[in-house]
Amino acid sequence: MSWIARLRGMLRRERLDQDLDEELRSHLEMRTADNLAAGMSPEEARYEAQKRFGNTTLLKEDTRAADILGWLDECSRDFRHALRMLQRSPGFTAVAVLTLALGIGANTALFSVINAVLLHPLPYHDPDSLAMVWESNSQHSNPHNTVSPPNFLDWQSRNTVFSSMAFIFDERDNLTGNGDPQEVVVQDVSTNFFSLLGVDPLIGPGFTPENGQPGHANVVILSYGLWKERFAGDPAIVGKSILLNGRHQTVVGVAPQNFQWFIKDGSLTGAKPQMWSPFVFPQSFHDHKQIGRFMTVVARLRPGATHSEAQTQMNAIASRLEQEYPDFDGHWGVNVVPLRQQISGDVRPALLVLFGAVAFVLLIACANVSSLLLARAASREREMAIRTAIGASRWRIARQLLMESLLLALIGGGIGVALAVWGTNALLAASPRNLLDLRAVSMDLRVLAFAVGATLLAGLLFGFLPSYLSAHSRISQTLKEGGRGSSSANRRALARNAFVVAQLGLALVLLTGAGLLTRSFVRLIGVDPGFDTGHLLTFKVALPGSKYGTDQLCLAFFRQLLARISTVPGVRFVSMESFPPLTGLGAATGVRLLSQPARPLSDLPVADVGVVGPDYFTTMSIPLHAGRLFSTQELAEEKHVTIINQAFADKYLHGVNPLGQKAAIYMKSFAENEIHPSEIIGVVGDVHHIGLDTAPEPTVYWPHPELVMSGMTILVRTSNDPSAMVSAARNELQQIDPELPMAAVATMDQLLADSLSRSRFTMLLLGIFAAVAVVLASVGIYGLIAYSVTQRTPELGIRIALGAQRRDVLRLVLGQGTRLTLLAVAVGVPAALAFSRLLATLLFGVSATDPITFAGVAALLALVALLACFIPARRATRVDPIVALRYE
Amino acid sequence: MLQPKNDLLQGTLALLVLKTLARGPQHGYGVTLHIQMVSKDILRVEEGSLYPALHRMEQDGWVSAEWGISENNRRARYYRLTAKGRKQLAEEEKNWERLTQAVAHVLHFA
Repeated sequence: MSWIARLRGMLRRERLDQDLDEELRSHLEMRTADNLAAGMSPEEARYEAQKRFGNTTLLKEDTRAADILGWLDECSRDFRHALRMLQRSPGFTAVAVLTLALGIGANTALFSVINAVLLHPLPYHDPDSLAMVWESNSQHSNPHNTVSPPNFLDWQSRNTVFSSMAFIFDERDNLTGNGDPQEVVVQDVSTNFFSLLGVDPLIGPGFTPENGQPGHANVVILSYGLWKERFAGDPAIVGKSILLNGRHQTVVGVAPQNFQWFIKDGSLTGAKPQMWSPFVFPQSFHDHKQIGRFMTVVARLRPGATHSEAQTQMNAIASRLEQEYPDFDGHWGVNVVPLRQQISGDVRPALLVLFGAVAFVLLIACANVSSLLLARAASREREMAIRTAIGASRWRIARQLLMESLLLALIGGGIGVALAVWGTNALLAASPRNLLDLRAVSMDLRVLAFAVGATLLAGLLFGFLPSYLSAHSRISQTLKEGGRGSSSANRRALARNAFVVAQLGLALVLLTGAGLLTRSFVRLIGVDPGFDTGHLLTFKVALPGSKYGTDQLCLAFFRQLLARISTVPGVRFVSMESFPPLTGLGAATGVRLLSQPARPLSDLPVADVGVVGPDYFTTMSIPLHAGRLFSTQELAEEKHVTIINQAFADKYLHGVNPLGQKAAIYMKSFAENEIHPSEIIGVVGDVHHIGLDTAPEPTVYWPHPELVMSGMTILVRTSNDPSAMVSAARNELQQIDPELPMAAVATMDQLLADSLSRSRFTMLLLGIFAAVAVVLASVGIYGLIAYSVTQRTPELGIRIALGAQRRDVLRLVLGQGTRLTLLAVAVGVPAALAFSRLLATLLFGVSATDPITFAGVAALLALVALLACFIPARRATRVDPIVALRYE
Repeated sequence: MLQPKNDLLQGTLALLVLKTLARGPQHGYGVTLHIQMVSKDILRVEEGSLYPALHRMEQDGWVSAEWGISENNRRARYYRLTAKGRKQLAEEEKNWERLTQAVAHVLHFA
């Protein structure tokens, strides 16, 4: 509405009022004139006419209400009145508004994160028809196992539910030429990857099917970020050649800015891609079935097909493959996961638990404000009674009070949204990268709609009961009783008691959640990782195949690098391994113990494989339990020896001396005749390789020559701050090969902190919410008891005058608080049991029904609640009987 | 306090007002006088109900209102039946007849 229209509306309303006044006046005058004509005295005539009108105010109100503008006007009157009432009691208003702002603000902040993470559209065409297709093994309990190329080819040719399927696997490659050497994450994909996702390159033609033919695959698509940073956003980049691992690749496109493809499960690098390159299956991949499982597969459903239909058909295909290739596909099935579920999968439970918690905080805030309004309603009972007496209807009074509630909610909501903007940024700043990797969360329309909805709902929620009770009190009684001890006051007291019980109960639920997470976190940091994380620097070096094409070159390079770093002052030990611990990365395969009866390949015990350098166990401080460590000779050339960890010995060699046993480790090949069994020469302590919350896996360690890998993580044990050694280490690296980048530099303590950050963050946030809940609930019970002490002052005065001791008074007042608290615990514990079940996936080493937590939390809440009651109780003992009785 | 609002009474008031206005434009006071007179003092319209009813009818478009001068030279607001109001009157009359017939039946046969 323009301001002119608004002005016209105001003028019209004014005219309406004037019209009505004049109309009624003319009616009165005519009646008076007729009365005079009928022979009444002038005074009598006017009085009679006036009397017939009855309550003029009500008449006017009713008449105005018949008009929409008039109705709006009434509302604005209510609004102004509400504003005056709130201004008159600034203390009450401030407490209520702040409570609501806190509740609404926290809810809006968390919702904006949920909006961005769980509800945001994915940057692909029709993302809801996209699905991840995984292999899953009934024996290894990993539902998201990577896929083997021959199985992918069979799926592709046999299914009819998907319109297309693409594969992805990632690696780190060295980008050289124009500038410093840089390690980039490259996703090798099938040529239909982009077209399947429905994404066109920002510039350039992208991949063509021809790029899937051998000899035509030397093309790449750059990520927007890499294009901007490395190539300064060169608009003529398409068609130019870049050097990747020393080989020329032609740029055929740049991906759009918002394009991203990162599925944590199955990622080999654990990092986001900077480049895409088509991958052509060599002929050996088509021959069943020798090649391991290492690819991620995404597929698009045929129009009309559902995810569950896809799962059904893929199950059938998998069971046929199981029969056709029992050795390779025995126990292997297929798991179809909707893409959206895959992406939000591991953040979802934490976010939903936090959202539930923050909704509880808002409920407690509402109960608090409602309780305050009820207390205020008692003191305003006379005002309401008088208004009723002079003709206000129940609806009118309820509307008036609801208007006050909505006004409170709106002010609270406004401040809440401001708080939310600030809170969202704080939330993002505090959140670990592996929980929320969002640069910015914007306040979009959906978030604003949520805030408005939450505000109005809160207003109605906390305003309804007080308005209802006020509107339904009996005026004659109220006026007679002087607003005290009336039946409506009793009902209000009941309602306030119920609110306090509900608040304490909800606070108990949150406190239980926070308690469980805290105990679980304490358990987690109490876990011994199995090695010494202090003073340990880690970084990755990956050798390009073009320059280090043979095993000998790789071995020689790393030998030289380790030797050089070991001479740096401050370095105590230096070693290396294939995958660093605590990052969730690793490799596993089947192991056959020669002493045990033969089994099909798919039934073999599974073990992690760690490829390590010299002094590895010394550098990491992993203890030797039995046997010996690798000798210098074994670390220099292939001698077919292995060291196992305690978990391997316990699980697969229980009651047998592992030393001297031979194990065929199916890492390099699955062909029996190509495998040379390794002899077990030692047993070392367990390491929590994946993370502290994951049990140590059975592991076999090989010296580097047994399985030469071109990418290794260097481990440097220092005597001082390890981060101070970075430049010295880089210097040594560049001395050997100036083209090699140093990647993923971190201290082991940082890796440990990162692996714990998600648990810490969830615990911290739920802890804050629980603390707010407890404070609000304590204020609630404090307010109730304080109010009841005020109300009972005369009674307490009489009791004291009659000889009641301080202790008796204290017991009387505290008794009320105790009863409410016990009731709250009785209600809260079952609710907390239900809530903690949702938490189960976030817990470590603590049961969701942990009795110690439940008992401790209930005791804590009871203690806080009683402390809150104690303040007014003490005041009650100081009641001066003379002063108290004078009031009556 | 408000009188308990009864649908029958409310509906009846509208019927009476519409019927009165069917004779020609009239102001509020005139409507009360007419109803009182024609009903031989049995029906008295309360001002407290009349004006809200008139304004509601105006809002619903059954009547239109304009300022005019009364018989004895006073400014008064005159209400006039609209076409919509005429239709409504026919409807209300039919309802009323049906109602009285029903009541009569009950009285005769109960």
